[in-house]
Amino acid sequence: MKSKVLSVLVKLVIAVLAFFVVTFTVYFFNLDMKATALLEPFFEKWYDGLERKQYI
Amino acid sequence: MKTVEKIVNPVRRAGEQSPGKIYSDKLKVRRRREWRGVKDTFYDYTRWLYLLSVLGRFIIVPRNVKGFFRYRWMMSYLFVPHGMDKFTIGLRDEALRIAHTSFNFVIADVTKAIGNCFRGDRRVGNDKAYSDKCVITDENSMVTFMMGFDTDKVHTILREVPTMFASNIFHQFNVEHYLDIAQQYGIPGDVCPMPEAEAGISIDDDFCVLGSCAVQNNTTCDGSLMGNGIIAKRLEREYGIPTYQLATPLRHKEPDVLEYAAEEIKKAIRFVEEHTGEKWDWDVYFAAAKRVNYATKCRIAQMEINSTPYPQFFGAAFSLYNDTNYMGNSGRMPEFVDIDRKLLELAEKGYKEKRMYAKEYRHRCIIWGVQPQYVIDQLYWLLQCWGVVPLTDMLSVINTDMIAEEDTPENREQAYRDMAMLNMEMIMRNHTHGGFKVLVDDLWELCEKMNADIVMMWEHMSCKALTGMHGQFEEQARERGIHIMWVSHDLCDPRVFTRQAIRDQVNNYMRTVMREEPLDPSLEIIPDNEAY
Repeated sequence: MKSKVLSVLVKLVIAVLAFFVVTFTVYFFNLDMKATALLEPFFEKWYDGLERKQYI
Repeated sequence: MKTVEKIVNPVRRAGEQSPGKIYSDKLKVRRRREWRGVKDTFYDYTRWLYLLSVLGRFIIVPRNVKGFFRYRWMMSYLFVPHGMDKFTIGLRDEALRIAHTSFNFVIADVTKAIGNCFRGDRRVGNDKAYSDKCVITDENSMVTFMMGFDTDKVHTILREVPTMFASNIFHQFNVEHYLDIAQQYGIPGDVCPMPEAEAGISIDDDFCVLGSCAVQNNTTCDGSLMGNGIIAKRLEREYGIPTYQLATPLRHKEPDVLEYAAEEIKKAIRFVEEHTGEKWDWDVYFAAAKRVNYATKCRIAQMEINSTPYPQFFGAAFSLYNDTNYMGNSGRMPEFVDIDRKLLELAEKGYKEKRMYAKEYRHRCIIWGVQPQYVIDQLYWLLQCWGVVPLTDMLSVINTDMIAEEDTPENREQAYRDMAMLNMEMIMRNHTHGGFKVLVDDLWELCEKMNADIVMMWEHMSCKALTGMHGQFEEQARERGIHIMWVSHDLCDPRVFTRQAIRDQVNNYMRTVMREEPLDPSLEIIPDNEAY
C-alpha cells in the first residue's frame, strides 16, 4: 500500500515537473507568441475571403 | 525652470538590466520574455499561465470558435500575452503585481464582454431571450444610466470595447483595415481614427448584432458624432434596434446644465425600461453608488501615493484600469471592489518599502492629452529609458466627489444629478471639453500637487479639441518654468506615426533640451515598428 502511494506521488511529481519544464520553456522563449505570429497570415486570408454586406 | 530632486535607486534590479535586448527586427513578437530574477520571473510565469487559462476557457465554448472565424478583430486576441508583456517592461516587485492584478482583470472582463456579445449575436450564438435583455452602449459612454438595473436581468454590452478599443492595444495594425474601409466610403482621413475605425467596422458589417436597444452618447468630438450617426443608421434601419441619443452638455462646469443633463439621464433610463421590460431598482442603484464611492476613494489614495517620491500604480495599467472601472463598470460589478482593495494594499506596501522601478528617478511627469492606443505602453518605456516617472495621465484625472449612497427620497432626485455629473465628466470629456479651466488650469494645479517638473503632451494630430490650445500650453508652461514635451501621434493608426517615430520625439527632447543621456541605452531605439 505504502509503495503504491509512493509510486503515485513520484509519478505526480514527475508530471508536475514535466509540465513546468515544458510550459516554462514555452513561456521564457516566447514560443506561444512566435507560433501565433506564424498563423496570422492564414487568418488574414480567411477574413479577406469572407463575404460581407458593406453598407453606409 | 522647475527641477525635482533626482533619486537614485539604492537597490540593484533583480534579473536583466537592459530589456532592450529582447526586441527583434526579424520577429513580430519579442525574442523571449524578460528575466526578472527567480521570484518575479516565476510570478510572471504564473500570470502567463492564468492568462492562457482565461483564453482557453473562452475558446472551448463552440459559439466563441464560430465568432472567432466570423470577426476579423478577434485575431487581436491571439496576442493577449504579447500585449500583457508590453505592460510589464522592466517592472519588479509590487509594480509588477499591480500591473498584472489590474490588467489581468481588465483582460478577463473584456473576454467576458466578447463572450456576452457572441451569446446574443444574431450570427453566432443567437440566444434571443438573452439578446432581448441586452442594451448596447457606446464605447466612450459612461454606463451610469445602467447602475439601477440588476446585472442578472439587464446586460450592458459595450460592443465597441472588445471590437476596437481593447483589440488595438494587443495588435497595433488591427484597425488599419477598418480605417481603409471607412475612407473608401468617403470619410476623410483626418478624422479621429477611433470613431472612424468604429464607423469602418459598422460599414464592413463586423460588429456583433444583438440587443433590444442601444444608447449612444455625443461623446467628445465631431468625429465621434459622425461615427455614431453611421452606426445608429445601420442599427436602426437594417437591424431594427432602436437607438437613443443621450445628449450630454459639453460645458460641464456650468451649473445651469446639470438639471438638463439629469433630465437626459431620466429619459435614457425610461428608454431602457421600455425596451427591455425591466424596471429600475433603487436598491441596486444605491449599492452601485457605494461601490463608485469606494473606487473614487481608492483612486484618490493611489494618486496621493503617486504624489510622494515613491509612486507605485502608474502607466498604462493605471489608465486602462481607471477607464474600465469608472466608465465601463460604474459600480455595477462587485468584483471590482476586491481588485481596488488589492491594488491599494500592494501600492501601500510598495510605498512603505520605498520601492523604485528604475535605476534613477530624474523627472516627475504629468501625461496630458489623449494617448495613442498602439503604443500605450510607452509610459513604462519613458521610465525605464529616461528615468521620467509618469505620475498620472489626463484620462485618470476624473471625479473626486462622493455621490449620494443612502436611499432617501431626496437622494433619489440627487441620484439623477450624480449620474449626470459622472456622465458629463466621463474620461474623454472631462478635460477635453468644459473650457479653459479643465484643460489648461487643471494641468498646472496637478503639476503643483504632484510636484511634477515635466508635462508630456500627447498631441493627437486628428483631435481638434486639443490642438487649438497648443499655444496656450506653451506660453503658460514657460511662465511656470515647467518643461513641456510635445509628442505627436495618430491615436490608432501606426502608419502616420510609427512607435519609434513617437519615441524619437522624446529622445530628441531629452538629448537636446534636457541634455541628458538615457538610463538604459538599449531602449532608446527599439525595433518594434512591425511588431504587434
